[in-house]
Amino acid sequence: MTAVTTPTTADQRREPSRFRDWITGGALKDRAVLLLALIVVLLVAMAILDGIGLTSGRFNSDYLASTLIAYVPLALLALAELFVITSGRGGIDLSVGSMVSLTGIVFAMLYQQVGLPLAVAVVLAVAFGALLGAVNGFLTAYLGYPALITTLATFYAYRSIALVVSEQRPISGPEISEFYSAAKAIELPVIGGGLPLVPLGVFTFLLPVAIVAWFVLNRTTYGRKLYAIGTNDTAAQWAGIDTRRTRMMAYVTAGAIAGLVGVYTVAQFASARPDAGTSGSGMALPAITIAVLGGVAITGGIGRLSGILLAALLIVWLNASILLVVPGNEGAQAQLLALGVVLLGASLLSNATIRRRQGGLAKPLSVPGTAPGAK
Amino acid sequence: MSTDTVAPAAAKPLSLRRILPPIVTGQEIVLLGVLVILWVLLGIFTPAFLTPASIGPLLVQVAPIALIGVGMTFVIITAGIDVSVAAMIMVSAVTTARMLVAFDIPAIAAVLVAIVIGAALGAINGFLIAYGRVHPIIITFGTANLFQWLGLRVFDSSTVNGIPSTLEFFGRGGAGSTLGVPHSFAIAVIAVAAAWWFLRYAKAGRNLYAIGGNQNAARLAGIKVQPRLVWVYVVTGALAGLAACMVIATGTATLDQSVGSGKELQVIAAVVIGGTSILGGRGSVVGTLLGAILVQTVVSGVTQLGWPTQLGFLFVGIFILVAVGTDLIRERTRRRA
Repeated sequence: MTAVTTPTTADQRREPSRFRDWITGGALKDRAVLLLALIVVLLVAMAILDGIGLTSGRFNSDYLASTLIAYVPLALLALAELFVITSGRGGIDLSVGSMVSLTGIVFAMLYQQVGLPLAVAVVLAVAFGALLGAVNGFLTAYLGYPALITTLATFYAYRSIALVVSEQRPISGPEISEFYSAAKAIELPVIGGGLPLVPLGVFTFLLPVAIVAWFVLNRTTYGRKLYAIGTNDTAAQWAGIDTRRTRMMAYVTAGAIAGLVGVYTVAQFASARPDAGTSGSGMALPAITIAVLGGVAITGGIGRLSGILLAALLIVWLNASILLVVPGNEGAQAQLLALGVVLLGASLLSNATIRRRQGGLAKPLSVPGTAPGAK
Repeated sequence: MSTDTVAPAAAKPLSLRRILPPIVTGQEIVLLGVLVILWVLLGIFTPAFLTPASIGPLLVQVAPIALIGVGMTFVIITAGIDVSVAAMIMVSAVTTARMLVAFDIPAIAAVLVAIVIGAALGAINGFLIAYGRVHPIIITFGTANLFQWLGLRVFDSSTVNGIPSTLEFFGRGGAGSTLGVPHSFAIAVIAVAAAWWFLRYAKAGRNLYAIGGNQNAARLAGIKVQPRLVWVYVVTGALAGLAACMVIATGTATLDQSVGSGKELQVIAAVVIGGTSILGGRGSVVGTLLGAILVQTVVSGVTQLGWPTQLGFLFVGIFILVAVGTDLIRERTRRRA
């Protein structure tokens, strides 16, 4: 009898502690769960404010869907940073904004002024972005430049070329104006009616890239190699991985994605602006910010696609919500405050949880592909 | 055994570095050479370049970059980085400008206000970086946003107009220079000299290299790493505050919301062109000063040659790569030797 009852009491004792483990150990450390919770909190709070009547406009699914037009470039560039930062050894790309500007100009020239077919122009623009990324990658991976230096230098260089080549004037024309339709909101063909209008760019630009990126990161040897070199460059090299080529490819990927965003911005603005990616504080800083918020470790080797997509969604909806509560100029300012607070809060919080775990000598942060919670 | 290993080192041929005074080392000689060549070339192709009327304003432009560069050199030596300096300039500049307009405070008070504001913002960076143990680039991305918000709030969604010429001591005009040397540039040079001495001879200065080389080793060797880090970011903030005074004095009587914009990258460019390793543990403020002059020379030179202004930044990018590239090669040969 005792031999039978002992294990069941042990099981009963383990049950609540496993739940607590999941809360304190798993859920809070899993960035996706944390971000999802923050998004839910945001939506609930805004729904309440909307109900009381404190918002300047209607906070509904149509509004949320329409803000996704800003979601596409942010999420894509944060995805580019995911590849680069995950490659480790101080990997970072400050030049993505400049690459967006330059590839946008090149795309507009090919499409508008040379008169190439749309598909050819898009492919060439993306290839050109990959080439720009290859310059970053070659300097960083093969010549050993610190990524911060390489991409600081190419940030200046690419931005300068974009402005000089375009003579600092936006490029526009009938073809490009027509291309604007690629970014507008549509009703989905099959499930259309009931759903809010979602910007087409989400389906034509973001989703395909996200699916390919997920597959590459989680289901290919390249993905495994990328996480390996980011986690421990030397160990990866001794394990027979061509670390230089793997690292280089991360920068090439980032460049190609930036090229795609360049094409997207041309559609979004209905013209190719030579400062599309660098005006104001530029696109690189928000992209890096979102990547970090999404749980990408700046030291490399850690980062997941889900975190990126959710973090970008949180930021875009947070910005949109702020504009409803604090309209006008002050709203734009409050967005800066919100981004700063969320970034600092999330990074300090995740740091605290990592440190606590390292104190207990537990396993390092889970890498995509490994079973979560596996001991 | 020991004589065998010592003998080759003693027999090393006299290198340039051993003859020259220690104030200039490898990277700085290269920089100095490049600067001389550039200035000679620009002097030949644009007759107006090597005149006081052209060099004076150039040095005035260099001053704030070099000044903040001193703090940034400290920061990068400790293996950190500060991308919030532009936002710190903005907050300092707009607050000081508003006080000048509203209360007409004397110059000394204005400078103190600017420095104290900068130092306070730097302290926020320092505490978060030293005790939060998050990578400095993340922290300063975050605080840059906060500071920018703060600055915009002080701006109150408009420009600041009619700033009195209280700070003309730092300015571009006649009151801003003595014997042709702009005061702001002289201040930057004094700051560089003080920082050079500090990094070379003061114990606290040497500690910065130790922290950048290996933070854990430094801690185990008894260096109070965290207070030192806080201090480094406070100094950078204070210098950004002082630089804000120069920015106010150099401009017109109006301050708009783009003040300081892009300065963080210019400062980082000056520091890395000056030979400070972004990986920490190595660097010099003299190099930073030369780097700042080089960047400004390139940008001004391109304009004076009648080329598109934006082309200057392409050359800045190339200079960064060349400067860091020579440093990488030196590092590799040094390790092999």
